[in-house]
Amino acid sequence: MKADPRLAVNLAGIAMRNPLIAASGCYGYGFDYAAWVDPAEWGAIVVKGTTLRPRPGNPPPRIVETPSGMLNAIGLQNPGVEYFLETISPRLNALGCPAIVNIAGETIAEYRAVAGLLDGAPGVSGVEVNISCPNVQCGGISFGCDPAVVEELVRQVRGAYRGPLLVKLSPEAGSLTEVARAAERAGADALSLINTIRGMVIDVEARRPVLENLTGGLSGPAIRPVAVRAVWEVAGAVSIPVVGLGGITSAADALQFILAGATAVAVGTANFVEPYAVREIKAGLLGYLAKNGLKHYRELIGAAKT
Amino acid sequence: MENKAQIAHRCLLLENKAVTGDWFLLTLQAPLPLQARPGQFVQLRLGPGTDPLLRRPFSIHHEDSIAGRLRLLVRVAGAGTARVAAFVAGQEIDLLGPFGQGFPYPEEKAKALLVGGGIGMAPLYFLAAQRRREGLPFDFLIGGRSAASLPADAYFREHRLEPSLATEDGSRGFRGTVTALLEHRLLTGPQPGRIHACGPLPMLARVAEIGRARGIPTHVSLESRLACAVGACLGCAFPFHRDGAVEYRRVCRDGPVFNGEEVCFES
Ligand SMILES: Cc1cc2nc3c(=O)[nH]c(=O)nc-3n(C[C@H](O)[C@H](O)[C@H](O)COP(=O)(O)OP(=O)(O)OC[C@H]3O[C@@H](n4cnc5c(N)ncnc54)[C@H](O)[C@@H]3O)c2cc1C
Ligand SMILES: Cc1cc2nc3c(=O)[nH]c(=O)nc-3n(C[C@H](O)[C@H](O)[C@H](O)COP(=O)(O)O)c2cc1C
Ligand code: FES
Repeated sequence: MKADPRLAVNLAGIAMRNPLIAASGCYGYGFDYAAWVDPAEWGAIVVKGTTLRPRPGNPPPRIVETPSGMLNAIGLQNPGVEYFLETISPRLNALGCPAIVNIAGETIAEYRAVAGLLDGAPGVSGVEVNISCPNVQCGGISFGCDPAVVEELVRQVRGAYRGPLLVKLSPEAGSLTEVARAAERAGADALSLINTIRGMVIDVEARRPVLENLTGGLSGPAIRPVAVRAVWEVAGAVSIPVVGLGGITSAADALQFILAGATAVAVGTANFVEPYAVREIKAGLLGYLAKNGLKHYRELIGAAKT
Repeated sequence: MENKAQIAHRCLLLENKAVTGDWFLLTLQAPLPLQARPGQFVQLRLGPGTDPLLRRPFSIHHEDSIAGRLRLLVRVAGAGTARVAAFVAGQEIDLLGPFGQGFPYPEEKAKALLVGGGIGMAPLYFLAAQRRREGLPFDFLIGGRSAASLPADAYFREHRLEPSLATEDGSRGFRGTVTALLEHRLLTGPQPGRIHACGPLPMLARVAEIGRARGIPTHVSLESRLACAVGACLGCAFPFHRDGAVEYRRVCRDGPVFNGEEVCFES
């Protein structure tokens, strides 16, 4: 595959051919869409949230469509970090692009343990700490809203994992910029935002919530303005790079995040609708550079005028 | 990848016609044959824009893989399927597929019983047409509420099918549910080698129970709300029995056709 140098980027020590990342939980372990697009077309792929022990996930229904979006309550279903290291990570080199492992836990000790097991693991180019999952009882979002807890958690993970470390934030944290700064202080190399936003849909005929988990995380174009605002605020408050995501479906959407200050962007829900989205977004970005006489997309990072 | 033909297709809608009050038969011309197996499905984009956002899954009702012609039988169940019903001939249809594991053992010489409940007959029609073409024995049982809720006899003649019908009000064929008709067949006829079923969940639960009681292997095609359809999002999980515990499997990728014995119908 011919990569265009105008899109190349080094994100927190991860060399990427382009700034497009497949979002966690939306791309499996990177191979599921290979019939449509070569995984190597991505700058990087973030694999499904991984925990210390296997998790069966939530009972169905787990998803429901909403206006320009969807709710999900998967419940971090995953085979656990040991299985991941034995059977999945050895295959990740075959993706042809860096693989970043999204991790979650119910206690700080669990996060630390998972991160420690991933340290130096073949096939793993980085770790993304999910402190913002809305669909699990303990851990997840409850960790992500308190700057002091975030600082301690990230410090512990940092101590156990030496590679590139991303921390994924929830837009629901009351003081998002404080949480972001806490993660930066504790040693995060980059921040990803946003994770999904909690929502609910009620079936009026059955008079009960559609999701068995009652609530789920909202994703897709519906959350894009919230995400662009969050990236804007955080990019202005920290000096580490920001990965922007939430509702990106096109190059124009991706450009909003880059102009708001994102060094890279991730695409989740849009893959479900259009597996070729990554290719279209890349082509659109290059078209925009050409039209505006720019040499590298880097010139656009944080370039929105106020 | 297990299916090289699993790609995107911009199809031409040749015809969209009402079959019953709320069932529509779509005939599509694909640029390339999908070479689908009975039981596999496609994901249809409902239109440009982001609302509705997700694609909708439909079983392949028939494929003429030489002509590259595809049929979908769609029941209007909500806003998305209402859009599909309103598609007009000449329109371009954006579909992905085929997806999923089809019905197993098409080559098996033993007689198969195909049991469809309502719109659940859609994928079984394809299986029946395939068995007819290959000269493999089968019986096709279809259940519906009333005479008018099922297609006319002429509908099945195109592929030389003569299903046995069951209606709950007795206005056509056997009076009663399709599972009652199935039990009647098993009492009066020879034991089939296998049962393939698709329809509402309670019906599938009953078919699996009947199969288990008589030691007949049963395969059921399940539905779930889908997002990605490729196995990546885990949104379509359905519970299964495994070693005394519950395990979730993906309807889109591990199925939609499963061994009826393993499905956890209780939850
Ligand atoms: C593998 C597979 C194959 C299918 N094949 C066919 C086919 O050949 N022909 C056909 O007509 N339909 C088929 N379906 C069903 C079809 O996809 C749905 O009817 C359609 O997606 C509904 O979309 P909608 O926007 O019209 O309805 P929505 O507005 O999404 O839903 C309509 C109603 O159905 C309920 N509902 C929707 N999805 C589910 C679900 N999974 N479980 C329980 N309740 C649900 C909703 O709550 C609502 O009350 C198939 C589904 C799957 C998973
Ligand atoms: C089905 C599904 C599963 C997800 N699983 C995870 C996960 O395991 N870990 C995580 O950090 N984010 C997870 N997310 C959140 C996404 O990575 C992303 O932050 C969010 O969906 C917003 O981006 P989007 O609008 O492009 O989808 C999931 C999202 C969806 C839709
Ligand atoms: S719909 Fe995504 S895994 Fe089945």
